[in-house]
Amino acid sequence: MNEQAQSQGMDNQPDEDQNIVTLIGTPNPGVVRGSRRRINEWFEKTAPVITWDTFDSPLGRVYIAITEQGLSNVEIGTSESEFLSRLDPMARTERNTSVVAPFTRQFREYFDHARSRFEMRLDFRKTTPFQQRVLETIRAIPAGTVWTYGQVAKAIGEPTASRAVGHALGTNPLLIVVPCHRVIGNDGTLRGYKAGLETKQKLLRLEGAPV
Amino acid sequence: MTIQRTDSTGRAMAHDTVGRFEDLIERHHDEIYAYVWRMLDGGYRDEGALEAADIVQDAFERAYRAFPRLHPDSNVRAWLYKIATNCTYTALKRHRPQTRLDANDSEERLGDPNPGPEQSVAYAEDVSAMHASISALPPNQRAALVMRYLQGLDYGEIAAALGSSEESARANVSHGLRRLRATLAAGIPESVE
Repeated sequence: MNEQAQSQGMDNQPDEDQNIVTLIGTPNPGVVRGSRRRINEWFEKTAPVITWDTFDSPLGRVYIAITEQGLSNVEIGTSESEFLSRLDPMARTERNTSVVAPFTRQFREYFDHARSRFEMRLDFRKTTPFQQRVLETIRAIPAGTVWTYGQVAKAIGEPTASRAVGHALGTNPLLIVVPCHRVIGNDGTLRGYKAGLETKQKLLRLEGAPV
Repeated sequence: MTIQRTDSTGRAMAHDTVGRFEDLIERHHDEIYAYVWRMLDGGYRDEGALEAADIVQDAFERAYRAFPRLHPDSNVRAWLYKIATNCTYTALKRHRPQTRLDANDSEERLGDPNPGPEQSVAYAEDVSAMHASISALPPNQRAALVMRYLQGLDYGEIAAALGSSEESARANVSHGLRRLRATLAAGIPESVE
């Protein structure tokens, strides 16, 4: 091969060049399969399944989602695509009525006045530690009664944190089950609710709270 | 963002993100593994194969974290090679002392082109000199050569994977080849050609 062809590069004689580089070798198929299996197993664990379903309630359509840890999302009066867009984007989502049925049943009983407390595992992984503390605390508020934001702040041992409590409740992913609708302003006004004030009021009336 | 969109049945694309990544594993795992293995000398160092699996996993984990931000029109293959290349370089840096040793070793062998009495022994030595020369290549040249000749990437893809211009990708391939040809000329008179 002449000097010029050599300096122009490899495309003039790809076969020979390929031969040189081939010395690097090729992994054996068993090793490649092993690595592929490992990646598939990792991905199965990384992208867990979120199962969801929807049903009609006196307050409109309710959407609920569960993970292997328990209930992870509850939304009222939203659209399906909006609900799904708020689920963990790294997970597979799958609608499955029978898997979600044990959870749905408790909601139906609640709306039929046959249940005032939910008994199910809750998935708090998408909440901050502070938010989880607030949400777990307010689960103790009995149906038919209300607390103020200040009372909740006192209950978690941070009496000056009313505003932070309000924020933690405002982003509660587990509506109804974690009863943030039972927390109202110190002056007796309803303040805010993720699914709208009208829904908050209906929920409190459904529970027989004095509002 | 992908996950905000819905498909024709009104289902969010979140599900699709997972499906598309599964598809990506299915289509590209084997070549990415081979690429990393080749960068690490899996054929000549036993640890190479073991390390390759760790690096491939690291690469796919990073890829999955970045996947939602990947533009739909991007060249996914080149993008994966880029991530795998970065992970591999990090691993190579960690093992630099050993890489240095190999480089010195290769220089010694190249400086002493002593053909053995028997053809087969000479051939084995030549191959090993050739291999030493390959493993002594700067990482960018080695990566470019492997991608071009063993992984079948075009120069645009190699450039994207190396984060360089296409000219620079071509230069890496031709400089790498020139070095290897020099070894070939010095150490392997006829046996390989």
